[in-house]
Amino acid sequence: MPLIIDSVSKSFGEVRALDGVSLEIRPSEVFGLLGANGAGKTTAMRVVLDILRPDAGTITWDGRPNTDLPRETWGYLPEERGLYAKMKVLDQLVFFAKLHGVKPKAADREARGWLERFRIPEYADRRAEQLSKGNQQKIQFIAAILHDPQVLLMDEPFTGLDPVNAAMLKEAFLEMRDRGKTLIFSTHQMEQVEELCESIAILDRGKVVVSGNVRDVRRSTGRQVVRVAVEGDSEIAWLGTLDGVRVTRRGQDYVEAEVAHGHDAEAVLQAALDRRCRVRHFEITDPSLESIFIEHVGQMDVSERTLAPKAVVA
Amino acid sequence: MSGWRRLYPNAWYIAVREYRGRIASRSFVLGTILLAGLAFAATEAPVVVDYLQGASQTNIAVYTSLSNLPPNSTVLLDSQLNPQSDASPGHRTFEISWFVGGATVATDSQRQLENGAVAALLVISRDAKTHDLIFTLRTDMPSDGRQVVLLQNAVAYLAVDDRLTRAGVSIASIQAPPAWSVVAVESGSSDVEPAAVNSLSDEITSSILSTVLIVLMLMAIITYGTWVAMSVAEEKGSRVMELMLNAATPTQMLAGKVVGNGAAGLTQYGLIILASVAGLVAQVPIRAAVSGSATSAALPPGLSLATFAAFIVLFLLGFILYALLYAALGSLVSRQEDIQSATSPLMFLIMAGYFVSVVAISAINDTWVRVLSFVPFFTPYVMLARVALGQVSWWEFALAVLLMLITIVVALFVAARIYSAGVLLYGQRVGLRQVLKAARVSR
Repeated sequence: MPLIIDSVSKSFGEVRALDGVSLEIRPSEVFGLLGANGAGKTTAMRVVLDILRPDAGTITWDGRPNTDLPRETWGYLPEERGLYAKMKVLDQLVFFAKLHGVKPKAADREARGWLERFRIPEYADRRAEQLSKGNQQKIQFIAAILHDPQVLLMDEPFTGLDPVNAAMLKEAFLEMRDRGKTLIFSTHQMEQVEELCESIAILDRGKVVVSGNVRDVRRSTGRQVVRVAVEGDSEIAWLGTLDGVRVTRRGQDYVEAEVAHGHDAEAVLQAALDRRCRVRHFEITDPSLESIFIEHVGQMDVSERTLAPKAVVA
Repeated sequence: MSGWRRLYPNAWYIAVREYRGRIASRSFVLGTILLAGLAFAATEAPVVVDYLQGASQTNIAVYTSLSNLPPNSTVLLDSQLNPQSDASPGHRTFEISWFVGGATVATDSQRQLENGAVAALLVISRDAKTHDLIFTLRTDMPSDGRQVVLLQNAVAYLAVDDRLTRAGVSIASIQAPPAWSVVAVESGSSDVEPAAVNSLSDEITSSILSTVLIVLMLMAIITYGTWVAMSVAEEKGSRVMELMLNAATPTQMLAGKVVGNGAAGLTQYGLIILASVAGLVAQVPIRAAVSGSATSAALPPGLSLATFAAFIVLFLLGFILYALLYAALGSLVSRQEDIQSATSPLMFLIMAGYFVSVVAISAINDTWVRVLSFVPFFTPYVMLARVALGQVSWWEFALAVLLMLITIVVALFVAARIYSAGVLLYGQRVGLRQVLKAARVSR
């Protein structure tokens, strides 16, 4: 049943957009695709959708190669979003649904239902150009799911949404998952990944550097993170002097430190008690996805790695 | 070949969307109103010309003291000055008042001229020796003007009639037609092409007509082909393309766009033709209103049903062929401003076809014209010229249509390839080489 991407490669001229990518995405799971700009996320999605043909490798869903699957298997929310500016919202939603084989009447009913859910039923008869960016984005999301696809691929679905709309989209996300749909989305925002995803893959320059269950990925480094808050001492200067402990972040009233592989995080608590500190907060967690990401890929925002020749698919 | 599967119904949905969007657009509405209005106005041109002529009716007075003028002189002068034409029956160029008598009548007629009631006074007298009629025209109209020349020609008939009457011959007996009959004979050889016996004026009429048809064809292909390219570039520019890519195959999109925009183009053409027909029909009441005379509508000369049918067939095929290429080239740009430069190769091809066919009209039987009429990119123009000039046998036309159909299938395949690669390429300018490279690697 799973979606299997098996050693897929795709080059554009000199640029290897995908380099032997293999992933397995289980049905009904929410899968996060992480990577810097130009890492190959969009190409990966387009290859899965059979919009692009890979140079090598295969993609199968439910045991069938993607070239044999009907288009309505997939729902796709592209990163570059657009609607027909002059067309009425409801008309476009019905149009896209019809292209995916939905009967016009059912499409109309479903579209109105979703507009209702996103609290924009009054926009049904407006032209798309009259809508705000955020509302257009909601329309595009509806267009991607109206035909009830089995697999939903979304390229940066949360960018540009205010918190209220992002929360609405998240809700819709989880409902899709509960209906048994498989969700794959790419993002830059780690909080969303940690909140929504069961599994992730980090792409870098067309290669998968890490993939798997989120908890496993976080534990895979062997390191642990401690967060300590002590009454009357916001600096906790001694923390950095402990063996195998490195301070990573200083908050307003807490300090975060990484405990290297092979060292006991509980030793930090013991050290605090030994110093007769009044510990207000002590927490042991796995490293954040962000730190893992940075470790593998480097600085997220700085490394805007675009594909070299212009006019080539990102 | 994923592109070939399930052309229907998605291509149809796309065509319907394209059609609706196009005919609802401001440019379509305004363009159609303007062109239909022009077509209507153009068909009324003969009425307007007649009306302007009718408004310049000339009143003249004729004075004579002679009592021995031939009895039918008044009728003869009137019929010569106001000849009855099919185009404008009942129309009168001259209104004639006769003054026959002595000195008081002469003064009356003179007064008519002086107070402006008439524009000219024609005085008829007789030469004392030869007894021939003498005509004197008193007028302020230019002596070489149209009215004066018409009068001069008309009085010549009066003079001839007068001489014949004096010689004892009636003009009616002279003008009676001679006995004349045609006996039909079966011809042994029947492979004489009917065009060969066309009169010169027929030939001139049909070359004007074929030039007009070729220009109409050219304008239609360029205008409606550009619509297709614009629609593709717009979709790409607004990035709806990305949503469309998952919803439909490139072949479905191409077919839908070509059919939708073609149907919109045909709608515009149909409305223009409808306006022209309405104009022709309206000629009758309009003429009745402005000049008070009834007539039947005049049709454009030389337009046969066969030529019209050939025009429609060649227009459809030519449009589809060029529109596919327009769509492929439109997929290379994402801004409306770049369409012109991106589609300039097609412009060259279309203009080449146009110039070739203009030259071909005067050399319609040359071998090179025959050959070019089978080259699919030139067929719409050159074959149309040959049809309009009546120089084509049915199998030649059928062969040209077949060749065009084959080319269209090939063009659909090539265009779909370029299109599916082109729509994913974004950048300032995408070269054809990049596209061909991308076309090889995409589906």
